[in-house]
Amino acid sequence: MGGSVDAANRTDRRTFLKKTGACSVLTAGLAGCVGTEGNGNGDGNGGTPTDEPTDGDTTAGTTTEMAGPERVVIGQPASLTGQWDFLQPAVSQSTDLAVQEINEAGGPLDATLEVQRRDTAVDPQQARQVVRQLVDSDEVHAINGLFSSEIVPLWDFLQEQQVPVVTPWPGTTFLDTRGGDKGTDDLGDDEWLWRTVIGDTVHTSGAAEAMIDEAGIEQMGILSATSAGEEGWTRQFVNWYESLGGEVVEVVSAQGGQSSYQSQLDRLFENDFEAWALSFALEDATTIIRNWDEGGYGRQLLMEDGLRDPGLIDAVGDVAEGAWIAAGSTEGPNFESFLPKFRDAGDASLHPWGVAAYDATNVIALAIHHAGEASHDAIQRSLGDVARGGGTTVTTFAEGKEALDNGEEINYEGAVTNVDFTPHGNVWGDVAVDRVTPDGFENEFTIGADKLQAEIDDY
Amino acid sequence: MALPLAQELIFGLVIGSYIALGAIGFTLVYGLVNMINFAHGEFITIGAFVGYLAVVFGGVSLPVALLVALLVAAVTGWAIARLTFEPMNDAGAVPLLLMSIGLGLVLRNGMRAIAGPDRRNVPVAVTTYRFDDLGFFVTSNQLFIIGVTLFAVLVLHLFLSRTMVGISMRATADNERLALVSGIDTRQIRNAVWLAASGLAGVAGVMLAVSQSANPSVGFGQLLLIITAAILGGAGSPYGAVAGSYLLGVGIAVSVAFLPADIVALSSTMAFAILIVVLLVRPGGIANTEVRTS
Repeated sequence: MGGSVDAANRTDRRTFLKKTGACSVLTAGLAGCVGTEGNGNGDGNGGTPTDEPTDGDTTAGTTTEMAGPERVVIGQPASLTGQWDFLQPAVSQSTDLAVQEINEAGGPLDATLEVQRRDTAVDPQQARQVVRQLVDSDEVHAINGLFSSEIVPLWDFLQEQQVPVVTPWPGTTFLDTRGGDKGTDDLGDDEWLWRTVIGDTVHTSGAAEAMIDEAGIEQMGILSATSAGEEGWTRQFVNWYESLGGEVVEVVSAQGGQSSYQSQLDRLFENDFEAWALSFALEDATTIIRNWDEGGYGRQLLMEDGLRDPGLIDAVGDVAEGAWIAAGSTEGPNFESFLPKFRDAGDASLHPWGVAAYDATNVIALAIHHAGEASHDAIQRSLGDVARGGGTTVTTFAEGKEALDNGEEINYEGAVTNVDFTPHGNVWGDVAVDRVTPDGFENEFTIGADKLQAEIDDY
Repeated sequence: MALPLAQELIFGLVIGSYIALGAIGFTLVYGLVNMINFAHGEFITIGAFVGYLAVVFGGVSLPVALLVALLVAAVTGWAIARLTFEPMNDAGAVPLLLMSIGLGLVLRNGMRAIAGPDRRNVPVAVTTYRFDDLGFFVTSNQLFIIGVTLFAVLVLHLFLSRTMVGISMRATADNERLALVSGIDTRQIRNAVWLAASGLAGVAGVMLAVSQSANPSVGFGQLLLIITAAILGGAGSPYGAVAGSYLLGVGIAVSVAFLPADIVALSSTMAFAILIVVLLVRPGGIANTEVRTS
């Protein structure tokens, strides 16, 4: 009996191995097919079956040139988990709101717009897999997402995909001279990334300008995290602040996730300065602000743009009262009409990236409709056309679609900025310095985008 | 006259206390169950959420919340261990280690799925006592965390040295087979270890919820320092873990004060530099415990 069981087991194992081997060969073969069938780089119609004319389009015996896809898919790499997961709900809510409005207006090319959202955990390797999945498996027509810390290491990979990426997230200075269409019609010089959020260069120059010109603060200390985004903000701020004549007496850097930052604060406040800047993510920033308050260190606090979040008010709105926060304008020409719709759509806490996600989704949809087809190349060519000045001003997809259908050129004005893309695919905006109160943020002073544009050469 | 290093010492004791509350439980499990529990951080997180619920929704004071978290985390941790680790006791250290890594991921993401990604703050009134002449200040919160940790160490010492369960624990940690033939019910001892370790993790969680917030990764964020302190102290030795935790805490605080500005961010790395130096000089850690084999 035992022998027969063993024999059966051996047979089972052998059968299993055979089946596994066969499956492996099949899988490898399929993978090869997928890898060579079309790289989704937008040649012609994007290589997506949904772009093919439907039977209904050809029943009259002719193929309609403008026949579009039945559905258009936008891929959204998302921070559903990980350190920045608390920022995703507003971005998802804004994106879904925009998609709903776009579909209610008939959709781009009269197709249904869909969003395929996948989690990257803001991890570059995971983001790489997600982008590959979105492009190769989901066959998305454009991508709406990706953080600075994903874009920088994946830059060459993203360019190889040749899929338009319009993202509401990145502030990195890396993109100051990368991305966009370079202001030409030639796709050869294009870099396939655009952002609808104001870059760190603008934030930091505005913050430095505000400290020197508006507040008259000539000496500052900085407490900064060692993460790439926060270090980048600090480096940029120091450069601008010192170029305007200010002096940063000491920068104390620390790793995030600590239970107490009293040691770092104690070291920083041994120095003589008038104000100090804090460049940390929200979780650590609240710990630091409590430590600062408990230690009675005093002096004016300036916080980086990433901390302009209702969560900051909830956690430390009372102890941080009077602190300043410098951030790019969160209110564009379309903000007033966007806000009530966002509030009706859900209960996510709104932040600038959430508003920028609404703009990114609308710009992509308008670009698809403007292009007349959903190929990657055509969308990339149209992104600048629908958002830069020079046409009928529109603030929603519905308005834009109507104008385009009437043969007009359009200029989309967004909810967070006016989305006038620079040749490098960046957007400008005012920088507001707000004062923290227990109830929210109140504007202290604003540095206009015009003034900043005069100071920033390449952006 | 300002006392030299007094402020750094206080900061170091505070940092060390946060680590110690987690490290004691971690090292108890290592010593008695002979496994490295990578899910220990999640037991801390459970305590953080229980503490938050007790203070914010239950309206209880922080000391009561600590007791609630201790009890809930102890029972929850013990139940999780009974379901996951106990059936694998004889599988060896590596399968247990892998199980704990998987369990940690499941618990962390499970809590994220249930509680969402939001950070939940535990509001606590803090008073600052300033001794400007002596050159330092200390807050009620800092005194509380140091006091809670020292009280936990005192209770642990009395438990290990004055109770039969504690003495049996030490015997089991020393030689499980000999303890078994001596009539000690090692299964009950394991139960007691899981209860104690998880309960202390719950207390650590509440304190971290006060200083940071209750969120799905608050315990996991402390795990590396906890493991470092446990190894530094001599893996398996609760007294060593406490000593290791305070050595790390003071080392980090002092290095922040004295490292050159360009490399002050490396203060956290000092914990690992201390670990390397101590292990080179004393491979068994501060308590010089014998390194166990699986």
